[in-house]
Amino acid sequence: MASRGTAQRPNGTQGKICQFKLVLLGESAVGKSSLVLRFVKGQFHEYQESTIGAAFLTQTVCLEETTVKFEIWDTAGQERYHSLAPMYYRGAQAAIVVYDITNQDTFTRATTWVKELQRQASPSIVIALAGNKADLGNKRVVEYEEAQAYAEENGLLFMETSAKTAMNVNDIFLAIAKKLPKNEQTGNAGTSGQGRRLVESEGQKPTSGNCCK
Amino acid sequence: MNEEELLKRSAAERDRIFSCYDRGREGAEIDPWEDPAYEVYHTTDRYGFIHDKRLPQKMDQNEIKTQFVEMERLKKWHKMTKNWETVATTEKLRRRIYKGIPDRFRGQVWVLLLGIHKLKSENIGKYEEMLRLARQWSTEIRQIDADVARQYRDHINYRERYSLKQRSMFYVLAAYSMYNMEVGYCQGMSVLAGLLLLYMDEEEAFWGLSVLLTDKKYSMHGFYVDGFPKLNRYMEHHDKIMQRFLPKLKKRLDKCGCDSILYALKWFFVVFQERTPVSLGLRIWDIFLLDGDRVLPAIAYTIMKLHKRQLLTMDSLDEFCNYLQIKLEKDFGYDDDHVISAVERSMEELKRAKLEYPGPPLPHELPKQPIGTFKEPTFTSKVGRRADEFSEAQQVMRESLIQRRQTALIEDEGSEEHEDSATPTELSAASNRRMLGANNCVGVNSHGGSKFLFEAGDGGSSLSPQGSRRSLADTSVTSTADLSVFSSATRSQPLDNSLDTQSNASVASSSGSAGLQTPRAGSHQPSPDVVRIYVPYGGGPGYKDGLPRTLPRSLDTNKIRIKVQDPDQTPVVENLKPFALDSPEYELDIK
Repeated sequence: MASRGTAQRPNGTQGKICQFKLVLLGESAVGKSSLVLRFVKGQFHEYQESTIGAAFLTQTVCLEETTVKFEIWDTAGQERYHSLAPMYYRGAQAAIVVYDITNQDTFTRATTWVKELQRQASPSIVIALAGNKADLGNKRVVEYEEAQAYAEENGLLFMETSAKTAMNVNDIFLAIAKKLPKNEQTGNAGTSGQGRRLVESEGQKPTSGNCCK
Repeated sequence: MNEEELLKRSAAERDRIFSCYDRGREGAEIDPWEDPAYEVYHTTDRYGFIHDKRLPQKMDQNEIKTQFVEMERLKKWHKMTKNWETVATTEKLRRRIYKGIPDRFRGQVWVLLLGIHKLKSENIGKYEEMLRLARQWSTEIRQIDADVARQYRDHINYRERYSLKQRSMFYVLAAYSMYNMEVGYCQGMSVLAGLLLLYMDEEEAFWGLSVLLTDKKYSMHGFYVDGFPKLNRYMEHHDKIMQRFLPKLKKRLDKCGCDSILYALKWFFVVFQERTPVSLGLRIWDIFLLDGDRVLPAIAYTIMKLHKRQLLTMDSLDEFCNYLQIKLEKDFGYDDDHVISAVERSMEELKRAKLEYPGPPLPHELPKQPIGTFKEPTFTSKVGRRADEFSEAQQVMRESLIQRRQTALIEDEGSEEHEDSATPTELSAASNRRMLGANNCVGVNSHGGSKFLFEAGDGGSSLSPQGSRRSLADTSVTSTADLSVFSSATRSQPLDNSLDTQSNASVASSSGSAGLQTPRAGSHQPSPDVVRIYVPYGGGPGYKDGLPRTLPRSLDTNKIRIKVQDPDQTPVVENLKPFALDSPEYELDIK
């Protein structure tokens, strides 16, 4: 977990807090809920029960100058639940599209999710592609380079992750946090990519994060 | 790959998965992570569920009492099950089931309640036939495999990969995917099959599943079929109950963006499994199997009612979700008898209000084809390719959800004024009047006219000629969200986490001066789906203290009327300036 927050602020200093809505999308059983569980609670369940409908969790990460609070929507993967997905990615500033590196079809499915987000979600949404189950390297089907090339073409953040070993899990959220716009003096304020900027009051510390403690 | 190769590949995959289950554990290649190691300190409870912690050596008083009572009842149950035909309709049976079926009779009684014997004897060979068809044709095998592998893995019978019961669960779901091809397999059904299999054998569970889906008493077909038509109806009904009996709580939930779909979808789809403790979940199933889907609204209402006090102390979506989705399963806080009695009282209460039953299934919630009709799957579904477009049923679901959210938000505002007087019907009528995307939304009538007419009370607005018809529905939601942000100064957490608002762009300013500014056109890339409408209310000091304060009770001065008259020319209104929350008066309390 060393890669978590980059800044340790001493107690009592004022910092900026931004809240962002993030949605996880991807084929069933690629590990969406497991990624969230690892990120939010630092846990891993070998048999994560299937998500029926959706789940909601929050987690906070610290950047150098800001604290980013993610409001995370974890969705059901089966196609039949697809009709509910727009409810969750509406207004989201970030999305993680997850596939399973041991299953080519889940990668194909991830690319269609990316397309749908590009078409339907907020234009400034930050999208990350996560090739999960990276611990199962001996069963790999989707090559790293293939996914990376695709991500580059489409301007996506990309990492291979493992919810099981925690590899890159915090990192991908942190990378998203860094990429999200946090200042409003850019002149195009009010865009839907903007997170809310709130001010952390004195003495109040984010308690859920693994940082700032 | 060409079509033939794709088909071959899918068939090979299906055969491979089938053979894994056929073979069972013998000689199977099982990854270490797929199979749990037994840890000595794991202990199994009386229902077969394994806990991480060693269970207490001694039973507490309550457990001793429960077991004693159950022992006393066994004789009665023995007699009753022997003479089922004569007792089946009596009030005695009902009373006893509400007291709880003793666990060792549960299987027998569930089979009787579901009428499985009759079905089984009338359909000899059918189950095997469906299983054979599934081996050749089922397009759902991959999803079923993924779900069987993680369903009830904390139960001793499902703990080992490819164990007997896991295999049964797989076969039952595979066979059912052919027996009812309209539903096939939908996530959630593994819970039903898994639970039935704890109390009956494979073929009985197959027929049990079939009764749950297509018998009118349960009609779960309508939950699981494409577009989830029954879910809509049940959620609307639940919202009505909340509005009528728990308006304060409903308002709080709405304010935090906690749409009932977040918790009630799973409640209804799997009848409170995995959301309530095991023993209570079984008691709920006892009464569900006796009385059918009419108990669902009463149980949902009871849960909210019993936990109203705790829920009202919460003010974030995070807390609500954690409480309803996780905490209640771990510790419900009331003993099972108390809960079931409360459910009975709720039923009476709902009956008096004529809200006890959302009504019989509607035609589109029922199977269209006679059940058991085989139709060769399409090429697309054979190779597991997904549809590019939403089906009509999915479209309906999607849009009605948006409308529900909208209604909730407007009720939230409306309730500032008419906390107790307004009925849900009036409020949703009000919301419909204000719906901008009338002709896009289900069940809302519109003129379908020619031009987008925008009148704002006293707020500025700007129109740009972009946009599409599709954006209209979104428009209404956004503007509603924005209005509600402005009409509630006590809210320290904006609405971003609510399901479908895009309020991130409309951060309410806490400073009075900024709050009165009219947003102007800006340079950001306009989203074709977003319309921002800023509606200031007159006057208002700068809010510096963060205390609750009086707001204009009526939105009269802020009325917006937008008429859609020309579908081809739909101007988009953009809110261009942010309401920066950067002044230090707003505090964020991060939990």
